[in-house]
Amino acid sequence: MRWAVVRDLLTTEIRRRMSYRADFWLSAFASLAVRLAVVWFIVHAVFAGSRRSGIGGYDAQGMLVYYIAAILVGKLVQTTELEQGISQDIYEGGLTRYLLYPVPYGVVKYVQQLGALGPAAIQLVLFGAWLPFVVGIPRDLTAAGIAMGIGAIVIANLLQFLITFPIQLIAFWADNVWSLMVMHRFASALLGGMLAPLSLFPESAQRILAALPFRYLFAFPVETLLGRVGPAEWAGGMAIGLCWCGIMAMVGRAVWRAGTYQYTGVGI
Amino acid sequence: MRYLRLYASFLRFSFSRAMEFRLDFGFRIVMDMVWYVVNFLFFWVLYRHTPLLGGWTYDQALVFLGGVFVSDALHMTIFSNNMWWLPFYINKGDLDFYLVRPVSSLFFVSLREFAANSFVNLLMATGVLVWALARYPGPLGAGSIAIFLGCLLAGLFLHYTLNLLFLLPAFWMHTSHGLREIYFSLTETMTRPAGIFTGWVRKVLVTVLPFALIVSFPTRALFEGDRWPVVLHLLGIAAASFVVALGVWRWGVRSYVSASS
Repeated sequence: MRWAVVRDLLTTEIRRRMSYRADFWLSAFASLAVRLAVVWFIVHAVFAGSRRSGIGGYDAQGMLVYYIAAILVGKLVQTTELEQGISQDIYEGGLTRYLLYPVPYGVVKYVQQLGALGPAAIQLVLFGAWLPFVVGIPRDLTAAGIAMGIGAIVIANLLQFLITFPIQLIAFWADNVWSLMVMHRFASALLGGMLAPLSLFPESAQRILAALPFRYLFAFPVETLLGRVGPAEWAGGMAIGLCWCGIMAMVGRAVWRAGTYQYTGVGI
Repeated sequence: MRYLRLYASFLRFSFSRAMEFRLDFGFRIVMDMVWYVVNFLFFWVLYRHTPLLGGWTYDQALVFLGGVFVSDALHMTIFSNNMWWLPFYINKGDLDFYLVRPVSSLFFVSLREFAANSFVNLLMATGVLVWALARYPGPLGAGSIAIFLGCLLAGLFLHYTLNLLFLLPAFWMHTSHGLREIYFSLTETMTRPAGIFTGWVRKVLVTVLPFALIVSFPTRALFEGDRWPVVLHLLGIAAASFVVALGVWRWGVRSYVSASS
């Protein structure tokens, strides 16, 4: 693999992403504000209705911090998910030129996804910087937890790409895969702990969810960042996440091979 | 009568077009089913830990959820596709096609496409709502249910006008991407019981940005004894929103400059 090509792809994508207009930033801020407001009220409503000080191992402040962290981490994980770049390349025939590149198509697309982290990281800093003043600094936050959390986010970003890659490759056969991507978003939001901490599920369900890939998209990185995951559990979670990365990479490779056999580059 | 015949033509065209893309038709049905299941499980998980959410019990929340599904399915079936394309018509000059017709351009733009796959989801959503109402342990009279359904339709109309209001700035801004994103974010407040919101946020969500009215107020009208203030509030806001939307539409059309040759 030519690393210079990868480097150039990454920097080009970062520059392209950073040229977004003001309305992108305005809508990103407004959307985040609405999501945070809904989460705020849901958490307080649940605790007010239950009249308990702790639910699923969280107090009200802790659950709020969890949700906020999940939303911000989600921005780093779901960077290009609904942009349909891969399926559009197939539909419009743009895939043809990538077949001539000296870099595998999947790598090109993943590097572009990494480039999209630019504005996501800026949003994280801009929107996250004020949070400690509003909700307080989590009690169990440590430098080691943050370092482990960053590692978990890296795996989560890769896993998210490897899950959506074969879904978008269904464009080789289907005329529209947007709805499949939305299905994945819905399912991963619930099963991955974005809608509710996984500790709120029944224990039997938690055991199943721990084996599925969705937990390692959101809940696992967030819990690690917040210091709720010890080193041994972190190592086990990373191993499971990497296993799922390997499985989805094999699925993606199989779908890619089957798709390119019958691909015809129309539209160029 | 002329408009009814025209709408019947829209329906025939939309169904035949939907059948050309059968795989996509099927995918979208499954997509909504996944959304229904996710929302069910979300509320089920929360209610494992609290008997009340926003003042509603689990049984009441299920009726609310059924209302959300029906309202969403109706909006997706009748309005959503048309609203999606409106900013593109404005920017590319394709709105000319609608403006020169001898019928109301707003009617044409808003109702031309009928999403056949969402109609199937509407049937499922209706089934969910009927199930939720049937299993509700308390007494629900036919009159209450009729008022609830009527208010759901008023909420649907309000949903349409809010969608329109967030898109019409495309006449002047030439892009609606940012406002569309904000609109989709605000629709999340529609899928949660309005009772969870408090303070100035609640005031905003039931007046200026009345997303919380769309399904929560019809559900309140069903369960609350003194329902008429709720009903009148919903009807008043829906009417006012439509008047504003109609005014902005007419203003937009006057400002519209076709991009086509």
